[in-house]
Amino acid sequence: MQSIKELLYKIADDQLILGHRNSEWTGFGPLLEEDIAFSSMAQDKIGQSYALYQILHELGEQAPDTVAFMRNANQFHNCILVELPNGEYDFSLMRHFLFDTAQAIRFEILAESSFQPLAELSRKIRGELRYHTLHANTFIKKLGSATPESISKLQYALDFAFPYALGIFEESPYEAELIAEGIFGGEKTLKEKWIEKTEDIVRQTSLHLPDWQTLSPVNGGRHGQHTEHLQPLLDEMSEVFKIDPAAEW
Amino acid sequence: MKSLDPRVNRLQSTVTGQGIEPKAALDQFGTFEVFVQPKEGKPFQHEGIVHAPDLELAYVLAKEAFTRRFTCTSLYVVDTHDVYTSPITEGNQSAYSLIEVPPTSNETKKSYEIYHLLKRGKQHLHAGTVEAATPQEAMYIAKQKFGSDKTIYNIWAIRTDTIRFTNPEEKDLWNTLPEKKFRDATDYKGGDKLKSFLERPT
Repeated sequence: MQSIKELLYKIADDQLILGHRNSEWTGFGPLLEEDIAFSSMAQDKIGQSYALYQILHELGEQAPDTVAFMRNANQFHNCILVELPNGEYDFSLMRHFLFDTAQAIRFEILAESSFQPLAELSRKIRGELRYHTLHANTFIKKLGSATPESISKLQYALDFAFPYALGIFEESPYEAELIAEGIFGGEKTLKEKWIEKTEDIVRQTSLHLPDWQTLSPVNGGRHGQHTEHLQPLLDEMSEVFKIDPAAEW
Repeated sequence: MKSLDPRVNRLQSTVTGQGIEPKAALDQFGTFEVFVQPKEGKPFQHEGIVHAPDLELAYVLAKEAFTRRFTCTSLYVVDTHDVYTSPITEGNQSAYSLIEVPPTSNETKKSYEIYHLLKRGKQHLHAGTVEAATPQEAMYIAKQKFGSDKTIYNIWAIRTDTIRFTNPEEKDLWNTLPEKKFRDATDYKGGDKLKSFLERPT
């Protein structure tokens, strides 16, 4: 059971934190239509985290709101990539591409999970993930081969984000157990598929993928070791909730 | 004026340009027309436009701009330049009465989607598909096929192969939409909550 909980927490925390980060673009997107699209996807992510916290609640954990709003940074299992500040749109877009490619594959694997609630959820949100990757791939393909400025900005963002993206696949202490019980195919398998998919898209642009074999991943997030950026995010996110945690909304 | 929000950068008002020049083009993307099928079996309807740099991005952006709230089973987009329009009529005059026999064309026939405006101020609705060599011929054929009973105030003809359709495997894009009630203001029942707060026992 501990293995499933750890798995659920890390996926849910990734979705919640990146959902919140991406929502910070609302009203500031590069064009109206993209502002709406990016905000909608942020909302999807928070919805997906809610569904995962709900499964955790059924396994005996605290209620979704409590779990989302009352924990401190060191109790979060998200990877470092998702907590980094937005910076410019090039970085946010690149993070969206690198992360959502991994997340779509993760849920594809989980659609076959022996843990039924997770398999059902994965199948249910397939369309949402399809849109997120369609959006990311289309933008990366377009801007990754548009002008010298767009290409160099995206290349810089890719080089910067890549070691953090490798941190998505930081292994859990329960890898062997999850694989043996058919719950999840494991971070190694996920990473291999992710490299393949990412290379496939990047190859269609003027960008080039950093040499992932020689880069060290930025790990620690899965074990509660975070950057100084996470706690301020949590403080802001839970500001209203904490005024009256028992309030009915 | 400088914004208080550090993320907002406003252009400073300064004198630009030298002397008399031709008017510069607008620094904007082109427009794309968005069509939505609200339910399986219902005709597609014109929903609005998006600005986008190309057809594929127009599709991606139209999906959230126009189908993030109400039920939708399919969506398609087309460059505004690829939509041919008839004159607009009023009263009892049908736009089809202004469509005349087109000059004969030797071009190969292509498929066209025909849209009708049945009520001024409403959306254009899909009427059917015809095979024709030119948009003019498409409207003339549509006149024979769909132009009989109702007054049509405006006709559109769109060549089918210029449309970015929803692929069959993309049909699941809207699967979870009916559950996203949180996007509707009514779902928050603000009025009820305010009422019960005001009428609470003190």
